[in-house]
Amino acid sequence: MTMNRFSTFVFVVATALILVFLIAPLLVVVSLSFSQNLLATFPPKGFTFDWYAQVIAQEDFQRSFKTSALLAVASTFMSLMLATPAALALNRGILPGAAIVETVLLSPMILPILIAGLALTQFTSSIGLHSTMGNLFIGHTLITLPYVLRTVTASLKQLDHSLEEAASTLGASSMTIFWLITIPQIMPGLVAGCIFSFMISFDDFSLSFWLSNTETEPLPVFLHNKMASVFDPSIATMSSLMIAVGVIVVLLIERIVGLRKAMGV
Amino acid sequence: MINRKTLVQIGLPLPATLFLAVFLVIPALFLLSYSVGTQTAGTVGFPLTLGNFARLLGSPTYRGIFFQTLEISLWTTLASAILAYPLALTVARGNAFFSRLTLILVVAPMVMSVVVRTYGWQLLLANGPQGVVNYALTILHAPMLPRLLYTKWAVVIASTHVFLPLIVLPLSASLARIPASLVEAARMLGASDQRAFLSVTLPLSMPGLVTGCMIVFTLTSASYVTPQMIGGATGAMLGVLLEQQINTVYAWPMGAAIAVIMVALTLAAHGATGRLMARSGVVRANKG
Repeated sequence: MTMNRFSTFVFVVATALILVFLIAPLLVVVSLSFSQNLLATFPPKGFTFDWYAQVIAQEDFQRSFKTSALLAVASTFMSLMLATPAALALNRGILPGAAIVETVLLSPMILPILIAGLALTQFTSSIGLHSTMGNLFIGHTLITLPYVLRTVTASLKQLDHSLEEAASTLGASSMTIFWLITIPQIMPGLVAGCIFSFMISFDDFSLSFWLSNTETEPLPVFLHNKMASVFDPSIATMSSLMIAVGVIVVLLIERIVGLRKAMGV
Repeated sequence: MINRKTLVQIGLPLPATLFLAVFLVIPALFLLSYSVGTQTAGTVGFPLTLGNFARLLGSPTYRGIFFQTLEISLWTTLASAILAYPLALTVARGNAFFSRLTLILVVAPMVMSVVVRTYGWQLLLANGPQGVVNYALTILHAPMLPRLLYTKWAVVIASTHVFLPLIVLPLSASLARIPASLVEAARMLGASDQRAFLSVTLPLSMPGLVTGCMIVFTLTSASYVTPQMIGGATGAMLGVLLEQQINTVYAWPMGAAIAVIMVALTLAAHGATGRLMARSGVVRANKG
């Protein structure tokens, strides 16, 4: 892009400021997690790992972390199991009633998550499903499913069908073709979809807070509830641990699939 | 006999479709039906009534929250659209290093919980000297801002932060599809940078912009955490009102009526976007 010097200068400064806007809240949180102050207020004082030691030793934090991790893994697995066959069918050939199927599959995108969570809470309690973990699992599968579906569909679109045709000509069964030809080709898409699905579940608040109780509280809900009663830097420390998970995830995606490809830009 | 292929075709999407139908579509219809129900002693049922909607629209407080939801969502969309352009241009056309760095910095906050990000804004915007913004202003010998947190502007700022990445991504994809030669041609024919941007880049990036704006608008209008954490009494939105009606007032029909209005807003935004795209023909032009 050719630009004169002044435009370039303005453009670069604007971009830099917007990037600062994007990371400032995260930096402030992380800076306070090391503060020796007894209150989580700016500016941080001194430098200590005490809050990290304290948070990691907290039993309710550990329990909440386990709940979140378990939910994220389980709902991602479930979404993958449900979405992959659906994506295959939608991608290939003419499906009877495809329009209805597609409308239902896209419904989580139209219905706000906040309302999906409320509807699910009301529904599960009226039909007598009282397992908090079970209900959270159902809810998290609902919100991760469309993302997995979308990434799998996107990778199927880029599939080289001539390979499958060649295998078929050479006598491979449709199962063999699926496992040996299709799956390896869409693997990067599946991995990216799973990582995103994990994060959507791990980060969710809007659906989970309707369904949780004090014994079974995913991390964001736990954190949100703590904020009402705890004002020391341990809140910033828990938040920083969640930020760390996010950073690891972004680096993983960049490593495995490439962020550009995964985000479709 | 129906052949095996047809059976497989029907069978493959069945589990996902059933799962969503049972746990999303049916519960949603149930909830929405509550909006025209009457609550008596903890159960909701007949007689059917439009009274809940009438009460919602009749109350100046509720009407105010409805319009404030629209206002906050529109400001957030506008701010996100403006801030997204420099980032998306860098991602789409910048040199390899800056483009990658920008993309990482845009995506990273996206995979962090809204609770964490809004907490960051609580600290940044806190009223009084311990707020980071006020702290910075004091260092610059500028007067502190009297009231920042617990206003609708705090909600707009934090929502912009939360949803900005969702507009940068489709916009970068759109920008990347514009042939660089078109901008070059405009520049060679004497257009200034601003002119080239306004008459070439901006119109051709419309599909990404419109898609992104729709996503940001619908998600903002349906948000709960951000207005709940930093909106306070003056920055309330429909999501907050909904939660109060359900968890504090136990008024299920009212809550359901608010939910209906929120879904209607989302559907209206989807519909308007579809129409806008179809009318301007940008969909076809950009698919080539």
